[in-house]
Amino acid sequence: MWSMIKNEWRLLIRNRVLLGVSVGFIGLLVLTIYLGNEESKEQSERYEKAKAHMCEQWESIKEMNPHGAAHYGTYVFKPNNSLSSLDEGVNNITGNVLRVEGHVQNEIVHSEASQSQVVSKFGKLKGSLILQYTVPLLLIFLAFQSISGEKQSGRLKLLLMQGTKPSKLIFSKALSVWLLGNLLLLITILAYALFIGSDMNSEIFTRTAFLALSYSLYYFVLTALTIYFSIRWSNSNVSLTTMLGIWIVWTIFLPNIIMSSVENWHKLPSREEFKTAMDDDRSQGLDGHNPEDERSKELEEQTLKKYGVDSVSQLPINFDGIVMQADEEYGNKVWDKHFGDLRKVLTKQKQSYQLGGIINPFISLQNMSMGFAGNDNLHHQEFLVQVEKYRRVFIKRLNDEHAYGGSKSGEWGWKADNAFFKSVEDFVYKPTPFAKVVSNYVMDLVLLLLWVLIACILLILGTKKMRVL
Amino acid sequence: MKYRDLFLYEWKHFIRSPFKIIALVLFVVAGVYGLNKGASLHEQHEREIEKIEKRASEDRQKVIDDYFITGELNPEDRPWIDYGTPFWSIWFSYVHHFKNPSPAMVYSIGQSEQFGFYKRVTFWASPYDADLAEEIANPERLQTGTLDFSFTILFLLPLVLLVLLYNLKSWESEQGFMQLILVQMPSKNIWLASRVSFYIFLLVATILALLLVGTALTPVFEHSPEAFTQMLFFCIAYLLFWAALYFIFLSGSKTVLGNTLKMSTAYLLFAFIIPASVHQVLSTQYPPNMMTDFIDVRDRQQELYNQPDSLFQAKLNELYPEILVSSVYKDSTKRGAARNRSAASLVNELKKSSLLLIEEEFEKKNAFIEGTFWFSPVSYFQNRFNTISGTHFDDYQTYRNDVQTLIDKQIRTMVLDTWNNKKIDRSGYEKYIQELEKL
Repeated sequence: MWSMIKNEWRLLIRNRVLLGVSVGFIGLLVLTIYLGNEESKEQSERYEKAKAHMCEQWESIKEMNPHGAAHYGTYVFKPNNSLSSLDEGVNNITGNVLRVEGHVQNEIVHSEASQSQVVSKFGKLKGSLILQYTVPLLLIFLAFQSISGEKQSGRLKLLLMQGTKPSKLIFSKALSVWLLGNLLLLITILAYALFIGSDMNSEIFTRTAFLALSYSLYYFVLTALTIYFSIRWSNSNVSLTTMLGIWIVWTIFLPNIIMSSVENWHKLPSREEFKTAMDDDRSQGLDGHNPEDERSKELEEQTLKKYGVDSVSQLPINFDGIVMQADEEYGNKVWDKHFGDLRKVLTKQKQSYQLGGIINPFISLQNMSMGFAGNDNLHHQEFLVQVEKYRRVFIKRLNDEHAYGGSKSGEWGWKADNAFFKSVEDFVYKPTPFAKVVSNYVMDLVLLLLWVLIACILLILGTKKMRVL
Repeated sequence: MKYRDLFLYEWKHFIRSPFKIIALVLFVVAGVYGLNKGASLHEQHEREIEKIEKRASEDRQKVIDDYFITGELNPEDRPWIDYGTPFWSIWFSYVHHFKNPSPAMVYSIGQSEQFGFYKRVTFWASPYDADLAEEIANPERLQTGTLDFSFTILFLLPLVLLVLLYNLKSWESEQGFMQLILVQMPSKNIWLASRVSFYIFLLVATILALLLVGTALTPVFEHSPEAFTQMLFFCIAYLLFWAALYFIFLSGSKTVLGNTLKMSTAYLLFAFIIPASVHQVLSTQYPPNMMTDFIDVRDRQQELYNQPDSLFQAKLNELYPEILVSSVYKDSTKRGAARNRSAASLVNELKKSSLLLIEEEFEKKNAFIEGTFWFSPVSYFQNRFNTISGTHFDDYQTYRNDVQTLIDKQIRTMVLDTWNNKKIDRSGYEKYIQELEKL
């Protein structure tokens, strides 16, 4: 079989047009990765600068009331991920800036997409754009007449008369085209590895390997299907138009339609509904800024009892800090409920969308590509959760300083010093390890493997039904 | 053979080709689906605006009932509030500004899912506040894109045209009929143009029908009739662009495979590669703005508060010279409180100056994109469609500018009425609402 594959490659190389197109593709892929890498560097630089700027602002607070500092807050910026040069995922759509402050869990804002008019509906020139949309077309063009063309030229009859097994012939045709796709994939990955250099680690390596695997499987499905139609139709033009139709439906039509349908099945609340529901729940709790509030009174009684004193003024601590933290903890429950519900709906949407892979392997590929690149919505949500966890620790630290830092109740003019503010830790994003998220993509992988199986069965069936003339 | 006959014969070719019919039917289905998407988003925006207006109206009525009618202007549980002062009366005026959706949104939802369309206007507000954020949506859906009518035109129309035209002339060449055709025709290009023009007419008729379906879904004719004609004009211009491009390939090619390969490459190049490359270069030259200039207002605000009263007052007087002749200014015992109430005006100026830098960067980005339109026609037409449907970046920028105008107006009213020691009753409160909602 290997000699047949080699022969197929030799034929491909002899065709100057195809050779030119393949070389063009290689050049385009390398250029894409290079540009993506340059962009990543620029964005990382901007991110580091903004982060350092915020850190400097925080650490330069000479003295400030801790609760005043909670309102002053800080900002967290979404870091760039080096795998973005392969697949940027949702990063262009989601915001970049998240305000961290007391009393409220904010949403990430100021997305890149909202900073200019529309440029490209399918995103930037990333490896994923070429590998998902254009390489499959190249494979279709290479494979569509591999059998029908042989039939039309009469070469197929000659080959079979020489004793070549039909199954061997068909699989070697499929493998030769598939291997070309893999070669382009390999070049992309190698270019990526070369550009990121020392940033490569086991985590990135594993993610890249799985990403490459998902593309490789998809390319096999597409190649095998094209060869199958090439066997079925005696006219190669019909097999080409059929595959072009499939490409259009899989890559342009279905992802859009299925995703929109999924959003209708599992509805997200409108921003106003979401905000109103949170405000309503929030208003049931204690109001940290209103000492007349009933719940504040209850907390006051409990605290007085705990310290064995009769009035707030006798407390050895600042009761205002205790109220603020209680207010915060109630708020946290409210955020957990509402943001948690939102995340549940998004998870359901994702799972339903993944099922779309049953009728469209492109959906499985897209999910895995951005997931393995660490840039899908699951990873984005994980980032938001980490920021919120940090916000809670950050605000508690400030409220504790307010309560136990040395001031007395009602001393709103009391200020913590610079040493305290310097001691508050900055937010450090810990990228989600691949092992923790890989289970989210098992369905995509299984569905894609099922498609590979179906493609193999079709090839075998095609071999049995193949007519030489 | 007459050209009219050629044109009519092409109809027979078309109806005998199931693949071409299926492609056209799919295009129509996608178009209707896209129009429905646009109409449903238009309806959703209208519904949301109505809800917010109703809620604001209820909140205002509550203020009138609970405080102005009872005359208890200082609520017991929040004694620091005084509804009788311009500051609190305006604060509780619940003024909102909306970006009302154009009925032409049925044709293109554009960037409407990346921006907010309602905003509560207060004197501490800014058009870049987090509450002027887009509706909650699945980012993966936004990234995949919505199949609206403009998507159908921009990305499916060239594909349908490709399917309709891919074998014209080349099939005859492959079958060896060309010489026979040339005997009957004075020019192969005229023969080909006649055949191509049939498909152009077919698609123009289809687009016109789809645009008319759109008018049945939202009141386009009633509110923006020019949007209909503009959409039709740009859709035809876009169709002609692709038809001309494909015509060049068809007239020069001799094989169906060669044609298909060239047409597909052109499609990939213009629809994917060129816009994506421009986007990539743009993003490298102008990475996303982290809005640090805007964030820095926080510190500059602190510096402002720490300034001596005389300096603070001088800045206020410079901004509003009318203060110098106000009744409160003449009474030095009342100046401090009025000055504190007026702080929002100076903070607003700080915010505006920081936003100038940010918006300058946005303008540079947009100028860069516009400079690429001559070789990136898909982006050009996409932005034209968005402009027609009122969902272009500029439409949202205008909306932001309007929000800023209303903020300025609110601050001015609050500051001057505070310095003139104006007392607010129910009619004053209602007048505020009326005045402050107007641009």
